[in-house]
Amino acid sequence: MELVQECIDGAVVLKLSGRFDAYAAPAVEKFLKHVDNSVTPWVIIDLAHVNFIDSTGLATLAVGLKRCREHEGSLVLCAIQQPVRIIFELTRLDKVFVIRESVAEVIESRLLEKVGESETHAGI
Amino acid sequence: MPTSRMRIAIVSTYPPGTGSLNEYAYHFVRFLRQKAEIQEILLLVDELPSGQQYPPVEPPQPGKPATRVMPCWCFDSWRNLWRIWTVLRREKPDIVLFNVQFATFGSKKIAAFLGLLTPIWVHRRGLPTMVLLHNLMDTIDLAGVGLSKTIEPFIRFFGRLMTRLLLTVDLIAVTLPKYVDLLEQKYGAKNVLLIPHGAFEDVPFLAQNQGQESPMIMTFGKFGTYKKVELLIEAFQCLLAEGRTSLELVIAGTDNPNQQGYLASVQQQYAHVPGLHFIGYVPEDKVAALFQHATVVVFPYTSTTGSSGVLHQAGQYGKATVLPNIEDLAEVISEEGYTGKFFTPGDKHSLACAIAELLDNPTERYEIEQQNYLAATGLPIDDMVDWYLFHFRRVIDIRCRKRERSA
Repeated sequence: MELVQECIDGAVVLKLSGRFDAYAAPAVEKFLKHVDNSVTPWVIIDLAHVNFIDSTGLATLAVGLKRCREHEGSLVLCAIQQPVRIIFELTRLDKVFVIRESVAEVIESRLLEKVGESETHAGI
Repeated sequence: MPTSRMRIAIVSTYPPGTGSLNEYAYHFVRFLRQKAEIQEILLLVDELPSGQQYPPVEPPQPGKPATRVMPCWCFDSWRNLWRIWTVLRREKPDIVLFNVQFATFGSKKIAAFLGLLTPIWVHRRGLPTMVLLHNLMDTIDLAGVGLSKTIEPFIRFFGRLMTRLLLTVDLIAVTLPKYVDLLEQKYGAKNVLLIPHGAFEDVPFLAQNQGQESPMIMTFGKFGTYKKVELLIEAFQCLLAEGRTSLELVIAGTDNPNQQGYLASVQQQYAHVPGLHFIGYVPEDKVAALFQHATVVVFPYTSTTGSSGVLHQAGQYGKATVLPNIEDLAEVISEEGYTGKFFTPGDKHSLACAIAELLDNPTERYEIEQQNYLAATGLPIDDMVDWYLFHFRRVIDIRCRKRERSA
């Protein structure tokens, strides 16, 4: 599996491609462990090119989500393909994760949230 | 909406109680106690035989949840629903998890049925409720567990009825994907989810039995219903007759609660067989040594009732397995990534042959050991407990929102 890391508007974006299984999980786990927790972690995982995920892959993402939440951050999944979505639905983790159509959608909604926050502060 | 730490009640068997699923509960609670999200764990367990007591609970440590063991139900009693509800009504936990299978509350049909109504009652009375259901009546081979053809349609009918009733609780967790499919397709369920079994221990892979002087064949479980040891002992006798006189066969575990006295009668029947050992109940701290000394772990099942805890243990200790070629078990094994040597059910020569092949071929044995180890350790139960916590929180939050709306 290939991993490409980017930083977009303050979010750490991890683009994965290929099979996300027990063999690929340690690399993702390592990445999620090393996300800078000194600031509020905001992680986006782009699964557009992941065609398979097994329960170890799911468990890795769940551990990452838990870690981000512990630091009051967020982990958002994007562009989940149908075969992968089925696994999320089977485990009902689709109800636990925030799942969006694309990275752009997440960034946009996050920026809108920030604008909203700053307008509220300005009002006060 | 509460984001505070949760108080969780778990209705289950628990060691040293010997009811099915006690070991799963033990490891589940062991890891649950490490979670920061938990304030308190209430273990609503079955009463031990007179004179026995649950060991004292560890005193609460800072940051760790308090744990209380509350024996409040009894195998084969008709009063379990009321007794469990009485405790839950008093304690008011944030959520209740039932760790059950169809025979958890009794071997007698009415007691088993009434006991399984408990989660439905608890849910109806307003407590968030999740059921971890380890087997489904639809997949149990009732003839294989010793039920007559006459009674089978009635048991199936009540089994299906009970399944429908259980599906009215907040969430039902199962450990096999095919169970989710079955409940969704046959029962139209919308609240079922898969949470894999998970490995109990983080054990390094040790291929330590290569060239062992006295190879040990081992079987572990609760015997007497669909797990029977006679065929294994007869296969063992076949192996002894081939001149493998240094072999040992260890039968570890106890009678199934529904078949009291089974192992004692078998032990008496085969008392003349050399190298045969019945070691009875194995305390938790001795389980690792037992598996580590085994060369081959045999599953002398005539049918199965779901995912096998013993298979997961054999895997995590890196053991080669010998398994019956029966549909449900074969599916479980391949779905969960395990492997083993298969034998024809009921055929002692086939079983002896499968064991002999593994004993004689260390390379093949090593490959099976490795695959089983990888299958078992990929998903630690620690991670699976986190999945439960995600779902607990979600159920609690949904309930709170509903309450707020109606208020």
